[in-house]
Amino acid sequence: MRVHSLLAIFIGITVSIHAQEPVKPKLNPRIVTATRLVTQFSDLELQMLKAVQKKTQPALQAMLTDDCAIEMPNADPLPGEDWIDSVMAKDYSLKSFALREFSAVDLGTAVVVKFERRESATLKGKNESGEFFVVDVWKKDGEKWKLANRFVSRTAATASKAPIKPTGKQ
Amino acid sequence: MQSPLGKMKYALAFLFVLLAANFLMAQTVREGAGVNRAPDGAGHGTHEVAPSNNAQAGPIGFTVNTGNGINYNGGPVMKGTVNAYIIWYGNWNGTGSNTAATRSAIETFLGTIGGSALELVNTTYGDNTGNVSGAVHFGGSTIVSATQNLTDARVQTQVNNAITSGRLPRDTNGVYFVLSSSNINETSGFCTRYCGWHTRATLGGSDIKYSFVGNVDRCPSGCEIQTTGPNSAAVGQGGIDGMANTMSHELEEAISDPDLNAWFDSSGQENGDKCNFNFGATSTCNANGLCTASGTSAAAKYNQTFGGHNYMLQQNWRNSGGGACAQHL
Repeated sequence: MRVHSLLAIFIGITVSIHAQEPVKPKLNPRIVTATRLVTQFSDLELQMLKAVQKKTQPALQAMLTDDCAIEMPNADPLPGEDWIDSVMAKDYSLKSFALREFSAVDLGTAVVVKFERRESATLKGKNESGEFFVVDVWKKDGEKWKLANRFVSRTAATASKAPIKPTGKQ
Repeated sequence: MQSPLGKMKYALAFLFVLLAANFLMAQTVREGAGVNRAPDGAGHGTHEVAPSNNAQAGPIGFTVNTGNGINYNGGPVMKGTVNAYIIWYGNWNGTGSNTAATRSAIETFLGTIGGSALELVNTTYGDNTGNVSGAVHFGGSTIVSATQNLTDARVQTQVNNAITSGRLPRDTNGVYFVLSSSNINETSGFCTRYCGWHTRATLGGSDIKYSFVGNVDRCPSGCEIQTTGPNSAAVGQGGIDGMANTMSHELEEAISDPDLNAWFDSSGQENGDKCNFNFGATSTCNANGLCTASGTSAAAKYNQTFGGHNYMLQQNWRNSGGGACAQHL
């Protein structure tokens, strides 16, 4: 009797496991031809990250508008020059990075760029690595494109689990 | 009447069969398994694909060229004459570059690119049974009048419908292009992420290669290198040349990496991706009849000539001599 019960349980588990199999994906991945803007602005974003990594302040400064602002959740906008100071600080180290899911929209006088950035970094010896969702607004300044606004947030997978507290500024 | 020991044996045997079945089910290869999109730092569509055993199935006779900045990952390439088909989706009897003249120009382009200097660059790619021939044949087209935007799934449906209805032949050595008019969006990122893409699917039991390319007059700044090209019917209508450029990119990639497991580099870039919007040396249209009047008046640039027309087509990665973007061998 016990053997039969065990068998019934085993069959039940087996059937339920197979019932959980993911549905067969219908589409294969597509290999895309990136737009000209994606190619151009992903190169600019990479240049900027390399400037942060190598701590070449003049190169970074030249890529930001005078009134550039960095906005993050639950915080006041960070002026561009303050952001440069923070990433140029000796105790901040950007070890590696990768960009993906790039898109770019041409709005005539500005280009809005969206991507996801994965980075490995430390601040004062503390691990600051994570994945970020970034929206950048680039504006033309003469012949050069400069970063005017950045809206950045950790992605859900790496976001802090602490409850978001209202700041009264939303 | 069976003894308890007999029952136990019966149960153990049944358990063994069950476990064996379980094990075999776990071995089923799921479509898409082993394929992971990977970041390449530039936002290009890239992939990591598990090596295929296809190449080992054929006789080992050809040496695959390697060491030229692009890697062979074991899958097949398209050999012999590759047939190119078009599904014209949207409104191709409209205004701007959404016209019958554009359809004719693009079909002429596909019908004459075979054997061109650019296409021969693709002959540096092969698998263990042979190399790409560089021959391309335009196999026919069909028109689907529609207003509905496309998704990746709908693109595949259009290809499947064209084949199952008999409007286009079922051809495993073909590349099916779904070309949308400029009023149609492909909502997975046309114009913001990409200008076109290619992939494969098993449709009706056949390995079908297909591609989406939209009329790039929808987003000239994103997908056109010049707003008036050598084949423009009017100044500011770069759709024909922009589409031809993206189509040549997708065609070279579909031929050298048809099942997404043959030729791409360590960052996932296929041959076309490695030269995206890289045109090399160019010439300027003049009044010799190889550019349209609009292309000539706008001093449009071109870098390829075949079939009685000038074209501005990105270079392709040459898999020889150390590798480089090349207009010709």
